[in-house]
Amino acid sequence: MEQAESFAAARGLTDERDRLLIADTPLALLQERCGGSLPGTLAIPELLEQVQHARAIGLRIARAFSAFDGEDMISGFVRINPRGIEAGGGCELLVESWQRSPAAFASSHALAHYLDAIDRASAEITLRLDARQHVQTIGVLSADGAGLADALAAQPGALWSDLIALPDIAHRRPLHWRLLDGAACEVPGSARNWRARLMPIAEYGGGREPLGFELLLIADESLAEEATPPASATREDSRLFARTLTPALRQPLARIAANAETIRARLAGPLHQDYCHYAATIANAAQHLAGLLDDLADLEVVEAPGFTTLAEEVDLVDAARKAVGILGVRAHDRRIALHVAGADGTVLARAEFRRVLQILINLVSNAIAYSPEGSAVWISAVTTENGRVAVVVRDEGPGISAEQVLRIFEKFERLGRDSAGGSDKGSGLGLYIARLLARAMGGDLSVISREGEGASFMLELPRAD
Amino acid sequence: MGTFSADHAAHLRPGHLLAAELARSQRAAVATLPVLRHLLANDGPSLVSEAVVARVRGMLRDLATQLHAGGRGPAAVSDHAATEIDALVVQLGVHEALLAHIHTLALESQLAERFEQRLSLDPVLSPLLQELIASDDQAVAELSMNVLAAQTRFMQSQRRMELPLAELPADLFRTALQIGANRDQPGSAAGLAALMASYDEAATRLALLERLVVAMRRAVVACLAFDRAGLALFAQGLAALAGMERAGAIHACHEQQSPRLALGLRAAGLDLAGIERQMLLIAAPGGWLADIAEITPQQARARLGELDAIALERG
Repeated sequence: MEQAESFAAARGLTDERDRLLIADTPLALLQERCGGSLPGTLAIPELLEQVQHARAIGLRIARAFSAFDGEDMISGFVRINPRGIEAGGGCELLVESWQRSPAAFASSHALAHYLDAIDRASAEITLRLDARQHVQTIGVLSADGAGLADALAAQPGALWSDLIALPDIAHRRPLHWRLLDGAACEVPGSARNWRARLMPIAEYGGGREPLGFELLLIADESLAEEATPPASATREDSRLFARTLTPALRQPLARIAANAETIRARLAGPLHQDYCHYAATIANAAQHLAGLLDDLADLEVVEAPGFTTLAEEVDLVDAARKAVGILGVRAHDRRIALHVAGADGTVLARAEFRRVLQILINLVSNAIAYSPEGSAVWISAVTTENGRVAVVVRDEGPGISAEQVLRIFEKFERLGRDSAGGSDKGSGLGLYIARLLARAMGGDLSVISREGEGASFMLELPRAD
Repeated sequence: MGTFSADHAAHLRPGHLLAAELARSQRAAVATLPVLRHLLANDGPSLVSEAVVARVRGMLRDLATQLHAGGRGPAAVSDHAATEIDALVVQLGVHEALLAHIHTLALESQLAERFEQRLSLDPVLSPLLQELIASDDQAVAELSMNVLAAQTRFMQSQRRMELPLAELPADLFRTALQIGANRDQPGSAAGLAALMASYDEAATRLALLERLVVAMRRAVVACLAFDRAGLALFAQGLAALAGMERAGAIHACHEQQSPRLALGLRAAGLDLAGIERQMLLIAAPGGWLADIAEITPQQARARLGELDAIALERG
């Protein structure tokens, strides 16, 4: 699976601190994949090394290089032209003959080497420790590391774990370094989450205890995002998915899905049928993961204490029609007829429209997924006997057993069902979230079904007066 | 390098000067006979033949002369200048990496000439290079033309036992200039600065070869057909595919190093038949060749790495 990108060269420009200022697309993309930004410190360790070298010797150099971008090995030929001090002291880069090949590490040792290089390049605080893990020097790149530098100035030669809290590790005395490598840590004066990398400085060729250590502190999130703290910062820590993971993962997942789709559609060139199927599987898996992320982010919002919904007037027939409109194509693909009963404005609920629609989309798409092809799904809005209003979604699928009915609204419950539609493999969170939402609006979500007779889901809501 | 700096440390302690000097002369005395025996050996070509030594000496002298001239071009060499150049030759020769590089160049040109006699393989324009020059890809064709020009210059200057400063890899170029800058020669600093400003590693023969091999992408396997690629491209391709240094690949093409060549070809992914075919062209394989099939390419790569590590420790 080699992908020749282009012979055409990609240019880049770095400044005197090896920050990549300008870069043509392929180089900018590689920088981004290696975890860097533009402008930002050159994040490709192999290129950074060459640029630093060229600056140090003040000569134009030209080398073959290869770099690991997290997925593949990128190789090419780079020419580096260091510019004089009067021109800013940076370097001009010219990378050509790009080539992408699957990463084949000769050994886990080589992989570890790459990971170490990535950590070294992304560490914002670096310390040097002696053999007993006492701090010798500190280098700080980010503003919120100043607190640690101050603490160290007040307490020179301190044990590093006395200055930096390690919440996951109970023992505070110097532990064996292997136990501390990779530990989560808290840096005084910084609100960010950090990770410690402890790399031994070994005597050449020796197998004995290390002479000292290189301690890298790597922040889990970048400082820029923290510059605009959310209003209710105290509660945000628990919102791991909504705040941090979802935005961070959405983009790569979208890229995976889009690339797989490109391969599947043979847009990148002719391809054997089998590989199209594999690509389709990849695209589906990526979409599934993206859906799961959305669900998890939703779940965190819904489960957070103090979650509230609006109380507006919602026309349930209108909401049902909108849900059916959104899912019409999917239903058509499986030749399933969607019927909405009732006239607009006849059944009004007091709830939040957006949430009602979310629940209905979930119910109707489940009905489409689990119904046989050519069947029908009925959606009707009714006024119930106890003076409330409800939407009932009824399908002609295989139904749900009494025992399954008890568990269907549980978290991550999928009842071992595989949807007939194939493409909709849920996270097992949809109905759980839907019921939480219904209850948050003063209503409820329930199911009536017998095996072999289809299922009826009922969303009950308070009536608008 | 290691022993050299250790000697320096010894100089710093009074009373050790004599001991260090005695040790040095002892080493020289001990080394004399093996070197002499090696040079006298008549059983085939050697890695350190008189021809190679002469070329190394010639190139060192040429570098020293260029440094002395400080980029001002050849001038009439006075007696005083000749002494200075002699001193520069000694200083350049002490630098191991530089010496190793020059030795490899001498070996490469000598081997290329030998293959020209044995296989009628043009040391400048090989069939593969000819094809690359005719490539549809304009960039590859142009690059190949530049390689041809550089290879022509290389073989010419080798025959004259010369080595232009600007042909050195960047690190060695810098080393040479530093050695040249140590002299108190009025006006030389400006000349050296001009040399530095005009230096471009991308224009050196070795960088052009590397660039061409990278530009060939997967087609680089074509370099592993020795009788089509010629020594220069073969060594470059072998280095790329086997994860070796180019110098190591050149050395491996010497008749005394055939096991290393077999290991390199295995690391590059050739099977036994393929290795045998190349070995017959380059150096007669021994009975051990069949053992190569037992080694996986990954293992071969690791073994080469180990050999390099041992060589480094000895050096």
